[in-house]
Amino acid sequence: MTSVTIAPGSADISAAPRIAGSGRGRAWGYVARKAGLLLLTLWAAITLNFILPRLMPGSPADAALAKLAQNGPVSEGTKAAIEAQLGVPTGNILEQYVAYLHQVITLDFGVSYTFYPQSVSELVSTALPYTLVLVGVVTIIAFVLGTLLGVLAAWKRGTWLDTLPTLAGSFASAFPYFWTALLLLFFAGYVGRLFPTSGAYGPTASPQFTIGFLGDAIYHAALPALTILITSLGGWILGMRNTMISTIGDDYVTFAEANGLKPRTVALRYAARNAILPNLTSFGLALGGVVGGSILVERVFGYPGIGYLLFNAVTNQDYPLMQALFLMITVSVLIANFLVDILYGVLDPRTRR
Amino acid sequence: MKHPTRRRLGALVSAVMLTTGLAACSIQIESAPDPSIPKDTMLVAADNGSPLFERNFNPYMTNKRTAAWYMYEPLVVLDNVTGEEHPWLATGYALPDPSTVVFTIRDGVKWSDGKPFTPKDVAFSFDLLKKYPTFDLQGIWTYIDTVETSDTTVTVHLKAPDVPAAQLIATTLIVPEHIWKDVPDPSTFRNPDPVGTGPYTLGNFAAQQYTIDKNPTYWQADKVAAEHIILPATNTQLDVATKGYDWAYSFISDVDGAWVGAGNKNTYWFPPGGTVALFPNLTKAPFNDLNVRQGLSLALDRKAVGDSAAEGYMDVAGQTNILLPYQQNLLDPSIPDSGLVAQNQQKALEYFAQAGYTQQGGKLVDASGTQLSFTITTANGYNDWLKGVQEVQKQWGAIGIDVKVSSPQPAAYQLALRNGEYDLAMGGTGGTGSIFRDFNQLLSSDYLKPVGEEAVFNYERYDNPEADELLSQYKLTIDPEKQKQLGYQLQNVVYNDLPVLSLYYGGSWGLMSDAKFTGWPSEADPYASPKTYESTPLLVLTHLKKVNDD
Repeated sequence: MTSVTIAPGSADISAAPRIAGSGRGRAWGYVARKAGLLLLTLWAAITLNFILPRLMPGSPADAALAKLAQNGPVSEGTKAAIEAQLGVPTGNILEQYVAYLHQVITLDFGVSYTFYPQSVSELVSTALPYTLVLVGVVTIIAFVLGTLLGVLAAWKRGTWLDTLPTLAGSFASAFPYFWTALLLLFFAGYVGRLFPTSGAYGPTASPQFTIGFLGDAIYHAALPALTILITSLGGWILGMRNTMISTIGDDYVTFAEANGLKPRTVALRYAARNAILPNLTSFGLALGGVVGGSILVERVFGYPGIGYLLFNAVTNQDYPLMQALFLMITVSVLIANFLVDILYGVLDPRTRR
Repeated sequence: MKHPTRRRLGALVSAVMLTTGLAACSIQIESAPDPSIPKDTMLVAADNGSPLFERNFNPYMTNKRTAAWYMYEPLVVLDNVTGEEHPWLATGYALPDPSTVVFTIRDGVKWSDGKPFTPKDVAFSFDLLKKYPTFDLQGIWTYIDTVETSDTTVTVHLKAPDVPAAQLIATTLIVPEHIWKDVPDPSTFRNPDPVGTGPYTLGNFAAQQYTIDKNPTYWQADKVAAEHIILPATNTQLDVATKGYDWAYSFISDVDGAWVGAGNKNTYWFPPGGTVALFPNLTKAPFNDLNVRQGLSLALDRKAVGDSAAEGYMDVAGQTNILLPYQQNLLDPSIPDSGLVAQNQQKALEYFAQAGYTQQGGKLVDASGTQLSFTITTANGYNDWLKGVQEVQKQWGAIGIDVKVSSPQPAAYQLALRNGEYDLAMGGTGGTGSIFRDFNQLLSSDYLKPVGEEAVFNYERYDNPEADELLSQYKLTIDPEKQKQLGYQLQNVVYNDLPVLSLYYGGSWGLMSDAKFTGWPSEADPYASPKTYESTPLLVLTHLKKVNDD
């Protein structure tokens, strides 16, 4: 790190724009540049989102038909009947594009092909809360816990406080998500019967804001949450530990230590504060990705979130649903990215140039 | 096209789960039924949420809740395993001539709200499918001209003579006119509070599980044993094997160990639900040459193909498009060995020689020395099919044919099949329960479309005036004995002309438990398909008996 951040005062967030010294103009220019880039990427993402599903071979009616044909003989009128039920898009590609842009702007994504007659917004709004709470809360916990453990590991490097979390972290994050999920499901769910194996709440309950229901929901979220935590914790620990170790070697840390500051203050307020920047970027992106849910985990535990919905949408070639979900995911990642960029500009003035 | 053998990723994940559990830890899965479920209540894996349930009981929608099949009934229940018809809301039907069907409507049937069921409801339901063609999944209005009712009958006049169409029309589900006439837009109506004639009515509905209760005024209430049925939204194979399910429809790998071995008096029955076959593209050389098809057929060891695809649970299929043993009475007894074709590489090579292919250095080559080479198309994710195809690839490879495998996504596979854009494709045939439809869909030139255009049936693009003549005669034939004779002749067409190469039977994967209810369909008592959807469950639900407490 450079001399800019040596003095504790200069690392103060509120002081950062002043330190940059070249005035507000440059800061706003930076924000405007980033915003312009955001709009451009948004348009590109929205357009790609329109094109991609249409490049897939076969139509949604074919997919629905293949599904029906598995269950039993289908008759001749079936395809026409399904196409009519679904309202499979007609008109040329340009007309479809204009109609699609209009839908995006009005946030009206029409009716789902797979879950006809439910509308896309109906489906998304049912699934979103579960994913936001499950994946969102777990991501925050994993980030906070992982980062703290990383700081500890780096500060006490070489001791068991370093080797244990580092080894365990890399070990756990090397497992594929679904494998951990299956193991937990089998041992904690089936053999131990400690936790329910599927669903977001008890079979006969219905969602409501009562203590009883919330408890039930947390109980049902335990295994999927644990799965995500186990597999993602390692990444945060390692990321934090490694940047922290290089920070610890920097002169200003040695200087702070030489000044006789308490080790805890040096670790947290000097070294960790500077080392956290890369982890913060990943955190922003991870938060953006939360809305995408966690397909495999949600699938294994039959958890009614966005990941499960996305899986259904893709396997059934449900264009309206897929488009809405992909759009939601892309937009949140882009916005998270934008916010991280801005935050970065605040935290590290050099990026503003 | 019938395909009961599919299992998708969900099942796969569960299968992995089970096998890893079993293999890694050698733990025997044990069933532990929930003690809070009473003895008169059945736990059934019939309906899967996505993952939650949408409260949709509109019987004409493809996305309805499965239990809608247990609430709405047809005039006639057709069992697709035996091909038998069971008079249901109609006590019977007659064809005074090949273009008129007269249904005699059952007297004394009540809707679950107490109103009487009448022939008017039947006519109303037919009209509803006409008004909303999206509901007409069976396409009954391609046959119907007009419908009229009397106090006890419904008479359907067909557009053209078509005896087998009567059966198709008879399987339409009937809804109450007094409720549906006031629905503003039936095409988007989710029918949250269903009123039907069936054995069950809706009990508690929640997004993760619902119950249905016995309809006390059901017209065969004395035959319905289960007071309540619970249908959870998530039924993984681990759930099915461990939570004491009474009935499920699912392929479980190692069913003897994982399902029967789990206890709870679990049993299973996997009758054939259709024939899995290779469809040669008859518009293409060399498949348009009967000698080549004969050669390919004789080079197959169908038993090995079936065993590798279905873990030995399904039988080899005869080259007749008839499901054995349960449709034995429909099979032409003069066809040798029930239509089973044994592997005979020597004879296969003789046929290939007649088509101009000879073996050279282990390769089967034509006159110019080019090796016989083609691609088999199957659908991605259909693992049993893929295993079957790989076995075929091996067997044909053994006589020097270069076989490639292509497995596009199911939708793309379906499109390739319909458009005739393949060399050989895996597919299902037969199993509709109607001999006429089994053969009409396979052979009729009415469905013939040029390559590149979608054919609804007859994907292999078979064109044979002799078969067409038999099918059109069938449409005019009311006499069952004469129908049977025509069926024999159609079987001979398939047996001799090889429009498809039958491989093995696709299973109907019925898992049942005798712990609380007995009288499930079985090999010894094959009265109905064991499947949990469509109308055949009505046969099962009115046949079961409660197990008496000891």
